[in-house]
Amino acid sequence: MKKQLMVVAFVASLALVATACGGGGGGTTGPTGGTGATGGIPTGGILREETTDFGFTNAFDPTGEYLGAAWAYYGNFLLRGLVSYPWLPGEKGGNQPVPDLATDLGQVSADGLTITFTLKDGVMWQPPLNRPVTSQDVAFAFQRINTKSLIAQYGNYYCGTIVGMDCEGKSQEDPIEGIETPDEKTIIFHLERPTGDILYRLAQPAAAPVPPEVAGCFDKAGEYGRYVMSNGPYMLLGSDELDISSCDTLEPIKGFDPDKFMYVVRNPNYDQATDDNRQNYIDGWSLVINTNLDDIYNRVLNGDIDIAHGAPPAAILQQYLTNPDLQDNLKTNSGDRTWYITMNLIVPPFDDVHVRKAANYIVDKAAMLQATGGPVTGDIATTIEPPTVLPDLADYDPYATPNHAGDVEAAKAEMAQSKYDKNGDGVCDDPVCDNVLMINRNYDPWTEYTPILTENFKQIGINLKVRELDVSTAYTTIQTMSNLIPIAANAGWGKDYASPYGFDFFLFNTAGLSCEGAVNYSNIGLDEALAKECGPKVYEAWKAATDNGKNPLPNVDQDMEECVAKPFGPEYNACWAALDRKLMEEIVPWVPYRWGSQNTVLADSVVAWEYDQSAGWTAYSRTAVNNGLTMDEVAQI
Amino acid sequence: MGQVTDEEVAEPGRTLGGAEPGSTIIGRTPWQIFWMRFRKDRVALAAGAFLILLAAAAVAAPLIARGLVHHDPNALFRDTLNEYGLPVVGPSREFWFGVDTSGRDVFVRTIYGARTSLVVALLSTGFAVGLGILLGSLAGYLGGWVDTVISRAIDLTLSLPVLLFSIGIAATCSITAEGCLGGLVQPGISLVTAIIALFTWPYIGRIVRGQVLTIRNKEFIEAARAMGAGTGRILLRDVLPNLAAPVIVYGTLIIPSNILFEAALSFLGVGIPPTTPSWGRMISDAARGQLYTVAWWMLFFPGMALVFTTLAFNLVGDGLRDALDPRTQVTG
Amino acid sequence: MLRYIVRRLLWVAVTLLLITFLTYLIFFVMPPTDPAVNFAGKQPTPELVAEVRKQFGLDKPVLIQYALFVKRIFLGDEYGWPGLGFSFNTRSALKPIIYERFLVTLQLALGSAILWLLVGVPIGILSALRPRSIFDRLAMGFALFGVSTPVFFLGPVLLYVFWFKLGWLPGTGFYSITKYGPGTWFMHMIMPWSVLALAFAAFYARMTRGNLIEVMGEDYIRTARAKGLTERRVVAKHGLRASLTPVVTMLGLDLGGLLGGALITETVFNLKGLGNYAVESVFSGDLYAILDVTIIAAFAVTLANLIVDIIYAFLDPRVRYT
Repeated sequence: MKKQLMVVAFVASLALVATACGGGGGGTTGPTGGTGATGGIPTGGILREETTDFGFTNAFDPTGEYLGAAWAYYGNFLLRGLVSYPWLPGEKGGNQPVPDLATDLGQVSADGLTITFTLKDGVMWQPPLNRPVTSQDVAFAFQRINTKSLIAQYGNYYCGTIVGMDCEGKSQEDPIEGIETPDEKTIIFHLERPTGDILYRLAQPAAAPVPPEVAGCFDKAGEYGRYVMSNGPYMLLGSDELDISSCDTLEPIKGFDPDKFMYVVRNPNYDQATDDNRQNYIDGWSLVINTNLDDIYNRVLNGDIDIAHGAPPAAILQQYLTNPDLQDNLKTNSGDRTWYITMNLIVPPFDDVHVRKAANYIVDKAAMLQATGGPVTGDIATTIEPPTVLPDLADYDPYATPNHAGDVEAAKAEMAQSKYDKNGDGVCDDPVCDNVLMINRNYDPWTEYTPILTENFKQIGINLKVRELDVSTAYTTIQTMSNLIPIAANAGWGKDYASPYGFDFFLFNTAGLSCEGAVNYSNIGLDEALAKECGPKVYEAWKAATDNGKNPLPNVDQDMEECVAKPFGPEYNACWAALDRKLMEEIVPWVPYRWGSQNTVLADSVVAWEYDQSAGWTAYSRTAVNNGLTMDEVAQI
Repeated sequence: MGQVTDEEVAEPGRTLGGAEPGSTIIGRTPWQIFWMRFRKDRVALAAGAFLILLAAAAVAAPLIARGLVHHDPNALFRDTLNEYGLPVVGPSREFWFGVDTSGRDVFVRTIYGARTSLVVALLSTGFAVGLGILLGSLAGYLGGWVDTVISRAIDLTLSLPVLLFSIGIAATCSITAEGCLGGLVQPGISLVTAIIALFTWPYIGRIVRGQVLTIRNKEFIEAARAMGAGTGRILLRDVLPNLAAPVIVYGTLIIPSNILFEAALSFLGVGIPPTTPSWGRMISDAARGQLYTVAWWMLFFPGMALVFTTLAFNLVGDGLRDALDPRTQVTG
Repeated sequence: MLRYIVRRLLWVAVTLLLITFLTYLIFFVMPPTDPAVNFAGKQPTPELVAEVRKQFGLDKPVLIQYALFVKRIFLGDEYGWPGLGFSFNTRSALKPIIYERFLVTLQLALGSAILWLLVGVPIGILSALRPRSIFDRLAMGFALFGVSTPVFFLGPVLLYVFWFKLGWLPGTGFYSITKYGPGTWFMHMIMPWSVLALAFAAFYARMTRGNLIEVMGEDYIRTARAKGLTERRVVAKHGLRASLTPVVTMLGLDLGGLLGGALITETVFNLKGLGNYAVESVFSGDLYAILDVTIIAAFAVTLANLIVDIIYAFLDPRVRYT
């Protein structure tokens, strides 16, 4: 009797723990399920969108696809993972994972090394698969991540964390040791160490189930992108006509042409009763490529299309901000992204911390914001992590200047303490300041930053030689260590998921150092071994900057390890906030200048709209239009 | 392209330069004749005067900027922009040509832009002509495999997709701090000059080769050879002077197209670095995002400057060609 | 004659090989950055980059890569013939993309060509027949403006006047005739055609005028007049034939050049043509796309050159022996 009571108590306490860990997930604001007008929001119609370029990083193959917008498409339309997000803004809990395919947020073992999920009933794959989603489908997704040739671009979140995953797998058919599927509805993950943010990682699209009978035919990165099968409320147009009898009979889905369009329509096998978070008002969505950016916004103004993402060009933006009829049609939300100027710790004159501090004082951030288009494009950044990711630093501004317009005196005071200002007048007098190469992008608004920054830095004696490159070349240029780029303004960094670990890790950890793909552009923690490996130029620069190794470069790997071990919650955040302070005040790798906003422009036909904080994009599953169109009228196949 | 020789001066019945029949006939050198004929083309003279004025303005640009207008070309007057970063000050007393999206004085930048255009046009044409004369003469005079190689190089260069390669070369040379060819070719004026010269020398080279082929067989060359003159001497003293006329003709033909070439490169963002004012770049800034719908002056002034300069070079070139060609009658 | 053609064809093949090799050098070899890094995601670890490089065929030595590329062009690849490879960006076959882009450029080039011939040549002829008249001066003045005004200035100016201020014409963009109907297609093509045709029309007017004036001064024209032919017949039968032949050959060369992509016109007017695609590919590092467009452009130009030369060799036997 006592034993039974104890068991009951134990189970009850587990349930309590489970709901406590579940956080704010589950039902949210807005009407629940079912088609037809609910709470006055009409259903039906096609949401029409245009863009200049898809911009996919992996041709829409979810195993490696890294584009934020693609994550919005997957999450809202096509892929239901064990857990996902509620598709809401941050203040309504948009950054907290909720159960999607699973019945709850997983049962974690006492030692934190095992997490078990049970799949819901009634979640089916779209036609022509016409079968329930199984735990083996989920395991298959991880097998794909583990396969080397599929180039899982964020595989590092899983490999080394889930037992048996090393991202070196030869074939997607090879099962993973650390993932058990005892039956079709149960899946168990074994972890190498307790991982506080494991739910975030499981909410990413690569972890969503994948049907082996289709995806198993494609073993090269990106190929599956034209055959993506859905277990969600919508499916790609024409995907139900696939002949899945064998790999040879598969043809690319008609509704997705990587050069032209993407169309989704409702998935007949979807059961709204199994989904608490997606409202699914629209009957379909169309995304069409239109290379003319101005034309896209003109078409939204005319009502020819319903929605466009991204800040409109300045002339059009002005219309939206000044015309009272249009003001409601422009949405501005925090994008969880920091735009920054990065400085290289091993290249003079930025190898001197006082020069880097002077840079933080001299940059006219207000002018840069104005050049970008004003406050609607974001807020002035004062530290590294955006406040939506790390709220602890809301009022932290270590290099405050009047009106954020820069402070010449303070900058000069810092410069005077550096070794490049021999006579201490606050202006660099070393020849190394004469021609300092700065990389920038070659389109708006970055081209507007060039004159501002050139004038700013001139005041402390640094003559910038700005090279404006297209965005990809700009990134690869600063990612190649041997280029020894002193300073660059082209970079921005957005979260993968809302945890400060995810934000900071690759930027400042030695794991982000690599000879040709560096993300730790400032070279924090660069040691002799890697410097040597990257070639004589890098090695010489390293020797000069560290005085032949006597003054090693600052390294925050240890600080990060300590923070990761802290329990999730206020202690965790406080630790990362302290790291941010250390970075900004002692190491000073960046001049952060803007926390980017995501702008969305809506036509009058959009009668309901929500912002999804997790992907930083429109929550399509909570958007409604009243244009009453059908896909037959819209699709141009 | 015929030669103007001294014989024509003494032809009976023909008066040149207004000498009346029966009066003393003065012999004139071909260059004097050329200059007299050119003087009569008023339009060409006007164009030439414009160019001289433009060059003077370009040279005096810093004086004009500081002394006359009191604005630097890269000074930012951010209060002329509204809160969305758009220029709201058009042509006015303080800013004669208005301001651009960074708040810089368009008038001053247009004057400075003349420097870029003139320097690049003249330098690149100079190099193209030099290279063309050198390689064309060698090909025409020496013949054999030298001729084959150079002719094929000419053909090849003329078949290349010019703008595409320019973008590629410029992109490659812009990435590293030293530029290309060990620092010789830096992004900016030297890179653009090099690219333009690289793609336009074949025009001169081809013409020169043809000319040299024709001249090579003339009697006076044979005579020089018979007298024992070496190849170099012959090339320098006998061949080159006879190239002057066609080279002037074709040289003046490619100057305006080189101006437009540089502007096109700047327009595409692969030429002159952003802080150096360049008309092509200014036009591209105005066209991007349909900015000219908000600030028409950003498009109009640099564009008209470009058109007028190119036009002037075309007119002068036309005038030179007419003056050199004895068949055309030059009327006042 | 046959020997001449064969020799020229061989030279065409050599030229194409050389041009593609140069393209390889400029875009694959010279840049100091690794294009594979672009396509390996936000955190490109060395392993990811290596795998991308392998899948893109960039891990082989340059000469082997180039040889494979040439082989694919002639023998086809898994996407069909000619083997144009796949796009790094979309990881899909390049052939359909390039084919569609080529059609757009073709429409732009042909439309402009018709326009500039219809405008430029008659103006040139009329000016030549009335040298120094008001018409001549006006026409040649206009022509001078035409050759001095670049497309990237005239385009925005026309857009400003006819689209923004007057609203008579629609804005930029290409609207295919099959999807949007001939009306929309035509209205959107008027400005690009006009802008592209202007410089050529001006040039052709000047050239036609110059040629015709020169020809009309020849002896055989005097003979024809002396024989008693009317002026009109003299011009039409003798003058035009001689002066228009160079025009036709120039047309061939210009069309060949345009088919390589009227880069700037396409950029200014947002036409999804070959030139536009080339610029996009250069900026995004899509190497096989760059190579393909270059080959097509070079092929168009060399083919045009070849045809023109053959016609000339046919007409003028002296040419065959140089």
